[in-house]
Amino acid sequence: MSALMKARLQEERKDHPFGFYAKPKKDKDGALDLTQWEAGIPGKEGTIWENATYPIQLQFPPEFPAKPPKVKFDQGFYHPNVYPSGTICLSILNEEQDWSPAINLKQIVLGVQELLDTPNPASPAQEPAWRAFQKDKATYQKKVLDQAKKYAT
Amino acid sequence: MTKDHNLKVILGEEKYNQIHNSKVLLVGAGGIGCELLKDLVLLGFGEIHVVDLDTIDLSNLNRQFLFRHKDIKQPKSTTAIKAVSGFNFHNSKLVPYQNSIYETDVFPLTWFDSFDLIFNALDNAEARSYINKIGLFLNKTILETGTTGTKGYVQATIPGQSACYDCTFRETPKTFPVCTIRSTPSQPVHCVHWAKNFLFSSLFGEDDDSVEDNSLEGKDASELGTDNQEELQALMKESNELIELKRSIVDESFEDKVIEKIFVKDIENLLKIEELWQQRTKPTPINYTPEYKAEILKITKEQLGTGQKLWTLEQNLSVLISSIRNLQARYSATTPIEFDKDDEDTLDFVVASTNIRSHIFNIPLKSKFDIKSIAGNIIPAVATTNAFIAGFSSLLSLGIFNNPDAFKDTRAIFASEAKDRFLSSGELDHPNPKCSACSVTRGVANIDLSLTFRQLIDALVEKYGYDEEIALSVGSKILYDLDLDDNVEKSFTELKVKYGDHLEILDETDVKGTVELYIETNTDGKITLPELVIPDKPKPVEEKKSEEDEDDDDDLEVFEENDEDELLIVEEKSIVSSVGGKRKLEDAEDNEPKKVKV
Repeated sequence: MSALMKARLQEERKDHPFGFYAKPKKDKDGALDLTQWEAGIPGKEGTIWENATYPIQLQFPPEFPAKPPKVKFDQGFYHPNVYPSGTICLSILNEEQDWSPAINLKQIVLGVQELLDTPNPASPAQEPAWRAFQKDKATYQKKVLDQAKKYAT
Repeated sequence: MTKDHNLKVILGEEKYNQIHNSKVLLVGAGGIGCELLKDLVLLGFGEIHVVDLDTIDLSNLNRQFLFRHKDIKQPKSTTAIKAVSGFNFHNSKLVPYQNSIYETDVFPLTWFDSFDLIFNALDNAEARSYINKIGLFLNKTILETGTTGTKGYVQATIPGQSACYDCTFRETPKTFPVCTIRSTPSQPVHCVHWAKNFLFSSLFGEDDDSVEDNSLEGKDASELGTDNQEELQALMKESNELIELKRSIVDESFEDKVIEKIFVKDIENLLKIEELWQQRTKPTPINYTPEYKAEILKITKEQLGTGQKLWTLEQNLSVLISSIRNLQARYSATTPIEFDKDDEDTLDFVVASTNIRSHIFNIPLKSKFDIKSIAGNIIPAVATTNAFIAGFSSLLSLGIFNNPDAFKDTRAIFASEAKDRFLSSGELDHPNPKCSACSVTRGVANIDLSLTFRQLIDALVEKYGYDEEIALSVGSKILYDLDLDDNVEKSFTELKVKYGDHLEILDETDVKGTVELYIETNTDGKITLPELVIPDKPKPVEEKKSEEDEDDDDDLEVFEENDEDELLIVEEKSIVSSVGGKRKLEDAEDNEPKKVKV
């Protein structure tokens, strides 16, 4: 990995916003792999996402920070802007859109937290959550609350 | 008159002797390397070691002038040395290596240390960064070069004094989402990518679906660039049909089946997904009838002209058909065909299918020459640029030898396409204080790998006064930190640390700056750590600080003093796609604005 990538990722190991966690994953040799991270996104208080911490996986490509990390919730995560695979549709994570090498992990996790309760109906990534969010708020809320229970903190 | 008489007169006896008694390393024997080797031999460097892993390719011969047609497939390093031996007037000792520069068993740090100077003539950023690090570990000066077409540079890296190779951030080439390539192309390069990496490899490549671009499975929407299930299903179906189609490769009707499927049916299927075309121009399938084909088959080779000419749709179809016939004859399941820009059949297939697809999607067509350079990832290489950049590199080396003021006396040289100033030179930049390569303190440690991490940590604490809050890592692997203490009783071998690894020590209390140790090994049960002066970690700059404040930094003053003399050169971004090709990013792509003295 390039010297820049290493320095950036080492720097990312500290200073996480309150309620969040983020750390490199352990590999089979018992070392931490700086290219593979897991992080937890707390749902904002006062929203239907509250009282839960939603795990995400971040994969940093060799070209980081020229290219963004790939960020995923668990497969099947219920949210209008999350693809069935769990991949998050967020412009700051898209090389073609708003990614910039200056964006750090803190901005990413805060961006993902923000997205939870403010979905963007203009860029649907999955059918069920998107449809319910548009047409059946009661079902949407119930599903989100169920999911919050699953990830309750 | 002896052969070295003139050289002694020009250089002076003293300089001549210094050079004659020196030992230098040339990394790369390609475009710049061939030129540089010639220059170094003629300047009479005492010992020149040349490293290049590559063998000679037909496409090298137009500029790598030490190679001839008969040398194709021979190693570049040995061939280059054989070629210059004919004019080795000063009896330089010439040593070739056909190895990867990363091989630490062939090229241990001590080997690099035996050279007085390192000349880089490389073609990729990764190797440049590696040599840069070696230079930083050994405090050794590197003359770094690069060219792209008529642009080029020579820059000396003098550790501790000048900016290093990694002091500037470099962009990487863009990649394309799968669906842009497969269903909604909008630029010629999308069609080239499709023709080469999807269509060609699906039809003539290996049977399994190992070509990354062909598989939609395991990819998620961000890579695919779509969430449209209908579109994904259509693409999946397309791929499966292509596998079917491949089975009929022996049939005489194969060419028609390919054209009918790829340029008619698949397009018709895409048209059915209306969402795709709400904001895009609809593609138009070609009208492929027996009568039309009969007309196409009448087109002669002569009518196609040179590779610079833009072919019509019909001419592209005729090239496609003849290339399919040739490839069909060559193909068998045991010998799949790989795309090679110098293999006419494969190139013709890719050129023609690119253009037919472009026509369908209302994208401008391109000449065979243009498509070859996109598909082959060719960055234009101009022999003259290589020649004078190599020339400057060798001339600059004369001023660096045994010169304590080398930093002041050396110029960085840039060739640009600016009309009024083709060449410019400037003072060497100061190191970027934020550079993640050269702001690190470096040294060489000698470690018995059967010892444990605990023993190393104790030694580090004792030697450098760390407390135990440190993180130890090699590459992307963090092997120890306070929260990861289960590794402390493991040996280096167990944790897969080996000779030549770069072990990073990070002070997690944020007091000391980062240290990186090159690992040399012993079997005597010892850990020997280098004497290092570890500076404190620079205080992080407040994010809110305005730009004016940052300009107060000492290192930037150099620029300010000379403001009126400066010219801002912004080099263009490189325009390469991400895949394959022998000649990738040959040479520089320095995207940062460079301030250069006029």
